[in-house]
Amino acid sequence: MSGPKHRRDGVGTACEVVAALVAAAFLAVAGVLAVEAWGAADLGFLFDPSSRVADRAGIGPALAGTLWLAALTVAFALPVGVGAAVYLEEYAPRGGVVAAAGGAVENLAGVPSVVYGVVGLALFVRGLGMGPSLLAGGCTLAALALPTVIVTTRSAIRAVPCGLREAAYSLGATRWQVVRGQVLPAAAPGIVTGSCAAVTRTVGEAAPLLVLGAVSFMTFAPRSPADPLTSLPTQVFAWSARSQEDFAAAAAGAGVALLLVLLVVNLAALAVRRRLRGIPA
Amino acid sequence: MSAPSAARAEVPVLAADRLTVRFGDRTALADVTLAVPRGRVVSVIGPSGGGKTTLLRAFNRMNELVPGAATTGTLRFNGVDLHGEEVDPVEVRRRIGMVFQQATLFPRSIFDNVVFGPRARGHAGDLLELAEEVLVAAGLWSEVAEDLDRPAMQLSAGQRQRLCIARTLALKPEVLLLDEPTSALDPAATARIESLIHSLRRDHTIVLATHGRRQAARLSDFTAYLAGGELIEYGPTEALFTNPRDRRTESYLTGRIA
Repeated sequence: MSGPKHRRDGVGTACEVVAALVAAAFLAVAGVLAVEAWGAADLGFLFDPSSRVADRAGIGPALAGTLWLAALTVAFALPVGVGAAVYLEEYAPRGGVVAAAGGAVENLAGVPSVVYGVVGLALFVRGLGMGPSLLAGGCTLAALALPTVIVTTRSAIRAVPCGLREAAYSLGATRWQVVRGQVLPAAAPGIVTGSCAAVTRTVGEAAPLLVLGAVSFMTFAPRSPADPLTSLPTQVFAWSARSQEDFAAAAAGAGVALLLVLLVVNLAALAVRRRLRGIPA
Repeated sequence: MSAPSAARAEVPVLAADRLTVRFGDRTALADVTLAVPRGRVVSVIGPSGGGKTTLLRAFNRMNELVPGAATTGTLRFNGVDLHGEEVDPVEVRRRIGMVFQQATLFPRSIFDNVVFGPRARGHAGDLLELAEEVLVAAGLWSEVAEDLDRPAMQLSAGQRQRLCIARTLALKPEVLLLDEPTSALDPAATARIESLIHSLRRDHTIVLATHGRRQAARLSDFTAYLAGGELIEYGPTEALFTNPRDRRTESYLTGRIA
């Protein structure tokens, strides 16, 4: 694992300082949250259902809801997003329509999340009759993550050396064999990185879920995607809007839990990426 | 794609008729007409950007993978129109193998590289046997036999190019298109590739694009001189080298233009 020796120069030092500042800021945020959350900190907090009494309120349903939402978002956004990116890069004829579609996708990535909530409310909650369920939330968050997944996957695919494709084609590989055997494996680390960023960003969203009708008081943990929509970010929002001071601690505790969930997702992605790179390269 | 054996001898393996290839606004190949006889080595010489690579890539329909490429004129393989409606480009590339100037290996093992083509085709036989056969033919077997599972990227430049040739031979192609296979190699590795080409001519028709005028003279039966996308002169190598008909060919051969 001995990398090339990095020369210590001005730019390198500046980068290190910036990196240290970012890390310090993250630790500060986590620290403030932890101090705030101290009152609520016990194991029961993680698993207990909501309560009208701040001391007894837990994040069990919200935590389970966020895990469901993360799983649903990945399950919907990853195959559709990667599929769309592969189609746009490798199959679609070059020209006006594809360029327009690409531009549209990039614009979608810039649409505010609350707007996705409004669309999700009309389309999933009412139109398709899903009601304010985890499924509707997962679909909405997947739609929110989709443009970013597509954009990052396309750039990962474009970064695959041209010679690799040509070598495979020249050896009589079909288009699908080239995509499946060469392009996707070479692009996989980039796809994982981009998708992970998209999913963690989306799972931390409260606004679209509030529009869909997320509940903040649930007495049981959701067991299926058809159960009512609840999540950590909406729970944080609901508790922080209340006047009792004790609920502030609960809100901070839920915030810490959310950070931990996202940290775990990132570490999982890191592990996947290392495995992908571990293939003899 | 078969023809009666008596007629086969006369039908050229590859024939281009008024072949023109454009990439967007740029004309890479203009009105080229030439025939490659069976079992011979044809070298294509000329300055960089003269159309050598484009001509080779036209023969196995690689140009169409480039966005904005347009081909006119006809190309025939054993008398059959290569751009005919029933012709599958994947099948064309399996029968007309190509080795690129830049040896691009897959980031896999040596073995996986060698059997890539047969696997893609769904080869039924023993892959290990096939790998040994083509690695022997490419003169690489003795250097890699003890560990075929080694990452191919560990090989030297000369070994990589021979692996690329072995990989192409594994397709059992009738024609080999070799695009400046020695341009990135030192003299010793070049000599090895040249003797390899010499041995491959027994079973293959070979089209060799090369910068090396001496290499063309040493290895080929016929030589085509391409410049600015035009076929300036095409004929038996010896005649073209000793008595070029076109002044531009003469200037190129005597090194008066870069």
